[in-house]
Amino acid sequence: MKTNKYIITCITAGLIVLSGCSKDFLEVSPQGQLTEDQVLKDPNAANQLVGGVYSTLYFGGFDNTTVGFLFECLNDMASDDTDKGSSPSDFSAGGEIDNFTVTANNFVLNNIWQGHYSAINRANKAIDVLTQSTFDEGVKNTLIGEVRFLRGIYYFNMVRCFGGVPKVIRTPDPSEGNSDEFQTRSTKEEIYQVILDDLQFAADNLPEKGSTEVGRATKGAAQSYLAKVYMYQKNWAKVLENTTAVINSGRYNLVNDYSLIFRENAVGNDGGNNNVESIFEVQTGINLGENAVSLLYSNGQGPRSKGGWNDLGFGINTPSSDLANAYEANDKRRAASIIFINPTVIHKDGGNPLNVGTVLWDGFRIPTQDSVENERYNYKAFHSSLKESPQVSNNKDSKPKNIRLMRYADVLLMYAEAQANLGNSGEAEAKLKLVRNRAGLVTVAGTVANIWNERRVELAMEQDRFFDLVRQGRAGTVLRAKGKAFVDGKNELFPIPQAQRDLSAGRLTQNPGY
Amino acid sequence: MRKLYTNLLGCILVFFFILGNAFAQGSITVKGKVTDAINGEALIGVSIKLKGSTQGTSTDVSGAFTINMPSNGILIFTYIGFVSTEIPINNQTTLNVKLKTSSAALDEVIVVGYGTQRKSDITGSVARIKGADIASQPVLAATQAIQGKIAGVQIISSGDPNSLPTVRIRGTGTMKAGANPLYVVDGILTEDIRNINNADIVSMDILKDASATAIYGMRAANGVLLITTKKGKTGKMVIAYDGQAGIKEAAHLVNMAGPSQYAGYLNEASIYYGTGDELITAAQLQSGANTDWYDAILKKGIQQNHNISLSGGTDDVTYFISAGYLSDKGIIETNDFNRFTLRSNNEYNAAKWLKLSSLISFSRLNNRTVDLNAFNIAYRAAPYIASKIGEKYGNTSLSNNVGNPLLNLEKADNSVLGNRLQGSFAADVKPVSWLTLRSSFGVDLDFLKSTNYGYQFNNVGANSIFLTEGGNQLRDKSDLTVSQNNATKWVWDNTATFAKVLDKHSFNILAGITSEQYKFNGLTGKRVNVPENKDQWYLGIGSTKGATNDNTGDKWTRNSYISRLNYAYDNKYLLTATFRADGTSRFPTQNRWGYFPSVGLGWNIAEEDFMKGQKTFTTLKIRGSWGRVGNDQIATNVYFPIAAINIPYFYNNVEYSGIAFNQLPDKNVKWETTEEYDLGLDFGFFNNRLNGELDYYSKTTRDALIDIRIPAILGDIDGLYTTNASNFTNKGAEFALNWTDKVNDDWSYNIGGNVAYNKNAVTRLNGGQALVDGNTGGNQGNVTKSDNGQPIGSFFIYEADGIFQNVDEIAASAQKDALPGDLRYKDLSGPDGTPDGIINESDRTFMGSYQPKYTFGINGNVTFKEFDLGISTYGTTGGKIYNGKKASRNDQRDNLETDVVNNRWTPDRPSKSEPRATLSQLPASSYFLEKGDFFRINNLTLGFTIPKATLSKFSIERLRIYVAAQNLATITGYSGFTPEITSDRATTAGIESSIYPTTRTFTFGVNIGL
Repeated sequence: MKTNKYIITCITAGLIVLSGCSKDFLEVSPQGQLTEDQVLKDPNAANQLVGGVYSTLYFGGFDNTTVGFLFECLNDMASDDTDKGSSPSDFSAGGEIDNFTVTANNFVLNNIWQGHYSAINRANKAIDVLTQSTFDEGVKNTLIGEVRFLRGIYYFNMVRCFGGVPKVIRTPDPSEGNSDEFQTRSTKEEIYQVILDDLQFAADNLPEKGSTEVGRATKGAAQSYLAKVYMYQKNWAKVLENTTAVINSGRYNLVNDYSLIFRENAVGNDGGNNNVESIFEVQTGINLGENAVSLLYSNGQGPRSKGGWNDLGFGINTPSSDLANAYEANDKRRAASIIFINPTVIHKDGGNPLNVGTVLWDGFRIPTQDSVENERYNYKAFHSSLKESPQVSNNKDSKPKNIRLMRYADVLLMYAEAQANLGNSGEAEAKLKLVRNRAGLVTVAGTVANIWNERRVELAMEQDRFFDLVRQGRAGTVLRAKGKAFVDGKNELFPIPQAQRDLSAGRLTQNPGY
Repeated sequence: MRKLYTNLLGCILVFFFILGNAFAQGSITVKGKVTDAINGEALIGVSIKLKGSTQGTSTDVSGAFTINMPSNGILIFTYIGFVSTEIPINNQTTLNVKLKTSSAALDEVIVVGYGTQRKSDITGSVARIKGADIASQPVLAATQAIQGKIAGVQIISSGDPNSLPTVRIRGTGTMKAGANPLYVVDGILTEDIRNINNADIVSMDILKDASATAIYGMRAANGVLLITTKKGKTGKMVIAYDGQAGIKEAAHLVNMAGPSQYAGYLNEASIYYGTGDELITAAQLQSGANTDWYDAILKKGIQQNHNISLSGGTDDVTYFISAGYLSDKGIIETNDFNRFTLRSNNEYNAAKWLKLSSLISFSRLNNRTVDLNAFNIAYRAAPYIASKIGEKYGNTSLSNNVGNPLLNLEKADNSVLGNRLQGSFAADVKPVSWLTLRSSFGVDLDFLKSTNYGYQFNNVGANSIFLTEGGNQLRDKSDLTVSQNNATKWVWDNTATFAKVLDKHSFNILAGITSEQYKFNGLTGKRVNVPENKDQWYLGIGSTKGATNDNTGDKWTRNSYISRLNYAYDNKYLLTATFRADGTSRFPTQNRWGYFPSVGLGWNIAEEDFMKGQKTFTTLKIRGSWGRVGNDQIATNVYFPIAAINIPYFYNNVEYSGIAFNQLPDKNVKWETTEEYDLGLDFGFFNNRLNGELDYYSKTTRDALIDIRIPAILGDIDGLYTTNASNFTNKGAEFALNWTDKVNDDWSYNIGGNVAYNKNAVTRLNGGQALVDGNTGGNQGNVTKSDNGQPIGSFFIYEADGIFQNVDEIAASAQKDALPGDLRYKDLSGPDGTPDGIINESDRTFMGSYQPKYTFGINGNVTFKEFDLGISTYGTTGGKIYNGKKASRNDQRDNLETDVVNNRWTPDRPSKSEPRATLSQLPASSYFLEKGDFFRINNLTLGFTIPKATLSKFSIERLRIYVAAQNLATITGYSGFTPEITSDRATTAGIESSIYPTTRTFTFGVNIGL
């Protein structure tokens, strides 16, 4: 027993000393997660980071947004293209945009701001890593070009929404967040210079459409956006130069049937996703996570039920009657752009409503007005759950709808406007004719006014109209004539989100009038 | 791992079955009985120790004991509340002992963490609740039973059957790192005590101030609750059965408008103030139902609790084995919970110098949970829609865009099956009388499986589940989610305790090392189109298309060095000093170690010579302490930059997996530290019949982790950044008073009361950036703001200032667009800090917080002959509640409370408090803010003990029957479900939204001892 006592005492005492663990015991790596150090060891990391930047094109829903649902709402509703839609009480933040009663507290603006800067920072991070990578120079510059192309688009959105914004073109350390460098607004001109530098670098380094994977940024896409940016600066020579390059590349043409541009699948080789007219579009798809989509882009704008049927969406951002009336007679684009809900007609003898609804291209029948919330819906955002790829689950919010961001028709119209401004109305008319003929209309003179009208109906509800009106310098005149409370010198820009101003300790100045 | 299980199982088997051991010694057997010197009653559970050894026993229910011992030994009899007595045996074989009541009734032994201490020696603020007081209440978690019993311990309970009450000790001192206290169950550190059967608990000790808690350094900032479970006592086997069964119901519900009230309100709003249309037509009402949605989803639940235990032992081995079963069907349809527990606590005196112990508990729970959102949507659903007729449901989504809550409940089957094994194995080695070496290894294995099945149902066509087709509530494919979450934890404590008395100097020194590891592994799979048959709810069945699988993990480690010195001079002057160094993997290398010291001083004035003559004070002690403690309850990966992986994009119509860094981590995250001062006074008058405690404390939490909003230009996806950027203070006082008296042999009673005051404030926020939270939806915005000088989660809303009665009032106001009957808000400020004639964000103001200023309880017991009557009560004052259900009007056709409808302003009946009918959601204002004050009779129990004379015929030692009411009555002005709102999020804790109503339970119970 005595021996046991000593042995056990010694063992216990030994344990007490030994259980002080080695240093490694407290070094625990995150389980099932990759840290930055681990990721960057992978030679493929740079490429994957670029994929992560493309993925920012999906930012949408009611959340942080780049080119998704909220951005579409902002642009379309502020213009005369659409109304807020849905039920009267729904989405009051959209109503403020529609009526120009928008304040700095509007969540749509903050989410657009956050979405864009989140995306811009992903781009900056990818550029940082790429710059230090050991890729072949050509590959490296192509990848950097893709990222800068996206960053250029994002800054272009920001400068059009807010004017001058903080210029962030490298990855800041959190401690730098409060520095003047990042908390004061650069001028509009400085931001435009960032955009032009980015897009020019992209145009110089990216391959043409067809020489790279479908969905990646191309030289043509960069040139088209360059043209658009120059158009906003009224640099018509540059618009002409870049649109000419796109046209002469021979990679693009118009889809024959306008209504097929926005379909997922081609019909007889015409239209569908990534069609011949597509210059840049958001590539969505079906995956297990159902997250390769721009959330709510389709469902947010889909026809909304008042009861009695399984509806197609929230019914937000509905085409205005003004847009419906803007089309000339026989313009094929009217029926291709707008879903019209038929009125409910009661039998003369007071019986049941006539069984006349709206039959969509896929055969789906929407009931008449008494069962439907709004009178018109955006056909361009419609995704058919009958004839197009369905998501695996029941989640209607994640319909895979590719958003067409840049079409050849836009390039033709930019070319025409440049020519018209440079005095070559004949050249202008020739391109305008292509666009009008496709819509089933005869040609008109290549005047700037005609081109502007054409832009509206051709690009209706494609995130263009409001900024276009501002660019044209007639937003106030046009919108006030349609009963909107647009104030000159104020409503050309949206207010800087108050939340961001608060975080900047007041250094982010507010736009005039807000 | 497999090997560990095998070993564990082996140990369990060994400890269960191999009882008894042969350490026979040459000795005599002493038998006897211990009684109260005053009334002659048998004393149960008196500890009897052979002096100079670890050998001992205790008295059984009749006060009898038997012990084998050397014929010349000395026995020490100790019993709480009585004077400890030493008796030399001198060859006697029968010994009847009368114990005298101790003058120091306060001198109970308190569990203080890695050891015990006499209460009179303690310099910190501690409290103890006896197990019997916990087990007597029909509640799942032990903490719910101590509500109102200890000053400064706020317990927020919930009616949800498997809920862990929220416990706040001396206020809320953290925001991000978890404000829950540390629970220590027989030495195992845990965050969840729902596996512990209350009938197995001997005592719960609550450590409140830093002098007491600092021994748990890194986890002590929120206070510590130590639970000790029962052990067997030497003597014959004791069998005890305790059972209770009862019925429970919602204690308070909200009255919602009926169909005609509802239609009247909405139509008035629409016709007079809206589009002019009739929203709800007479035809709709006529063909409609009259549904009280709370009636539709609620039920009366049955609750049962049965416990049986066997305990006893010899000088060498003691055992305590128990089994418990608790079932609680809740009060909402489909809810069903049950828990089965087993415990085996055994101690082996292997030698005079060696004690081995194994304390093992197993619990298994089965819970069919409900989506608490049902309470919220039942609030909203239109009353003219039927809930269910036959097999078809009323289609609420057609009326006001809300799902049918009954359908939601019945067409979902969400079950949790949990198995938890918690145990510790320890060896106490005592090579010499002044030294104890202890090694204790504890494990906590928590395996939780959940199966969530959603039944398929249609809303149109022949198979429509609705009475009326359409709407947006449907599930066109059934879905099944199965997850298995396994958490394993071990903790290994190794300590050495030196105890020595040198003349008047008494030393107790503890030193030790502990290490701990936690691992978590979660597997989740989802399938669609799984058949309705329960036998087929497995991931192997169902469509592989759309199948998802996920696997996540977590792991952290801790390593700590602990030390404590207790020194007393002549029982008069006391010193406690502790120091703990903690390292944890949760902090980056450079900030990994935290150092937590504390010092406590005490002066037992009553022991002084100059107090000897007086009769007034039995106890008089002054305590003072200072200490610093920490909090490491933050997410494991907070300081790592983590890549978001599998970020999809499509090239060539093929998915490509990208990566991104979306979250900015603070790579320098460090410990939150809480510094606390405590000044206390313990007193007892008249032989301690009246005794009490008074404490003042001041706690400051520095470097508290908070989520600060950072500018979007930094690119963080949610704009939030977790960093050490705030301080919190809690200052308060506590007072407790107890009166115990025995009038005569038939009558005795005691009554106690306690009250605590706490003032909480946020200080030194990061650059003054306040934290806003609590968005109740729509145009309400965030309703709380935690800013410097204000309590955490203070309501920051408009101040409603009555109702506009006429146009003149409107013209004179800042709301020119208002109509008579609208709420008027105070124009408090503007962009330049002065009222600007516009009601906007700058007019929001602080209107109080959820945190109560005072918490209090009054508890009493009366015994008259065989009858006993106990009452416990609890209340709080000074806290506010934001009625989130009322405030978040999601749809203009949502239902309203009867009071809102009936009392609304109309030109004929101009109300001064309820606004006119409206279809819009009102802005966040004090209109929705209510006082959270309440006072409740928590428990009222009436018992009857069958006289021993009657029982002896049936060889039953003890038989008591009782009836009890839990939450018998609550006095409160709050109009919602309950003023008690459990929430882990300090910044939204005072918003009532989807909350399980507090329940009222009536039970009948029996206690039997054999």
